[in-house]
Amino acid sequence: MIKVTNLKKSFGDLQVLKGIDAHIQEREMVVIIGPSGSGKSTFLRCLNLLEDFDDGDIIINGFHLKDKNTDINKVREEVGMVFQRFNLFPHMTVLDNITLAPVKVRKWPIEKAKEKAMELLKKVGLQDKANIYPDSLSGGQAQRVAIARALAMEPKVMLFDEPTSALDPEMVGEVLAVMKQLANEGMTMVVVTHEMGFAREVGDRVIFMDGGYIVEEGTPSEIFDNPKHERTKSFLSKVL
Amino acid sequence: MDFRFDIIKEYAPFFLQGVLLTIGLSIIAIIAGSILGLAIGLGKMSTKRFVRLPLEWYINFFRGTPLLVQMLLVHLGLMPLLFSQPSATVSLAVSLSLNSAAYVAEIFRAGIQSIDKGQMEAARSLGMTHTQAMRYVILPQALKRMIPPFTNEFIVLIKDSSLGAVIAAPELMYWGKAAQGQYYRVWEPYLTVAFIYLLLTLSLSKLLHYLERKYSNQ
Ligand SMILES: Nc1ncnc2c1ncn2[C@@H]1O[C@H](COP(=O)(O)OP(=O)(O)OP(=O)(O)O)[C@@H](O)[C@H]1O
Ligand SMILES: [Mg+2]
Repeated sequence: MIKVTNLKKSFGDLQVLKGIDAHIQEREMVVIIGPSGSGKSTFLRCLNLLEDFDDGDIIINGFHLKDKNTDINKVREEVGMVFQRFNLFPHMTVLDNITLAPVKVRKWPIEKAKEKAMELLKKVGLQDKANIYPDSLSGGQAQRVAIARALAMEPKVMLFDEPTSALDPEMVGEVLAVMKQLANEGMTMVVVTHEMGFAREVGDRVIFMDGGYIVEEGTPSEIFDNPKHERTKSFLSKVL
Repeated sequence: MDFRFDIIKEYAPFFLQGVLLTIGLSIIAIIAGSILGLAIGLGKMSTKRFVRLPLEWYINFFRGTPLLVQMLLVHLGLMPLLFSQPSATVSLAVSLSLNSAAYVAEIFRAGIQSIDKGQMEAARSLGMTHTQAMRYVILPQALKRMIPPFTNEFIVLIKDSSLGAVIAAPELMYWGKAAQGQYYRVWEPYLTVAFIYLLLTLSLSKLLHYLERKYSNQ
């Protein structure tokens, strides 16, 4: 589903990704952990070309991202992204937030888009919020709407960049619950998170990044119970 | 000191003509300036240096030199090249438009850049093109933020159009000057003219407050 080879990326003189190789299977739920500044967000953002990369290649749903002839909008239609700070469109109601892309990009009739949106709102437990503006949502609610908005495009892959880091602790659970349900339904997911309990419980595989490299990867129990590398051990000892 | 209302009365039809021209010129200039300013503002955000640089200097020139100088250059320099009998009114309209385009371009750029970059990223991540993201996500938010500086620019335009009196464009200030010249009286014509300008600009700011309140609750 996603194949990354020798991915390199610099911001000016700072090399942030120093050669990443990764393979993500269909229906797999991959969690990326690592210290701040290790390049997790940058890696995730390369996967839908929110960041350009310098070297290497990414193949996603059969699209070669290195190839300049690849239509990045077509790639992004199949790759949903959920951001730390929600990024809902504040000038639109919750319903319009969700229907905008299906109508404008997928060219769905508005009725079909609305139906899908209501179905997704129900799924994330917010069907009563369809006609209000994002301003009046709590953080947890806003993030669930953001997930519904990404799902409305019926993507094949979902990327999450620290989806619960901007939330008050009591709201983390409701967002993780939605993500867990999504994983159980077989959505292919790449999730950057600091929620180690969630990573262990829901992840099929855990990738530990440090200093622009993938240092270690394996099943949650391999990484959390038997980390092989010193850097993984010292990171986990700080966060667990 | 007696206040000669008869002068005001005598000049009332001219003041009315003048104020209509002032309003008309300001509207033309704000519309032409907005269209031109939009293009310049967008061009200035271009990644191509050869597009950006001339536009930057356009903005520098029109914001960094006095409007009076610009107007004289247009009226005495540019217009005679194009027309055998340049009209002062046209010259005034052109220089006001060119000038306001520079300010509108900056208002426009600042408005767009004030929108959190996460908005563009969210829109693009949903598969929207840059143009779609601009049209449905960025511009609706940016335009709302542009209402106050934009209205302010309109107010400045109304006041600045009074410079037309220097090249004898028959707008409001021109008739004030004419009355002053005929009767050698300062207070009557200039206070009247000032009062009319005040009326125009205050109505506009009232309108601004109304629009702001209307759009602030979505
Ligand atoms: N647009 C940018 N311009 C310049 N440097 C950047 C940019 N984005 C990220 N960086 C730098 O790249 C490095 C990696 O950033 P990245 O956001 O990928 O880390 P991260 O692992 O997601 O960290 P965190 O856990 O804090 O989110 C950091 O040193 C950061 O300062
Ligand atoms: Mg990050």
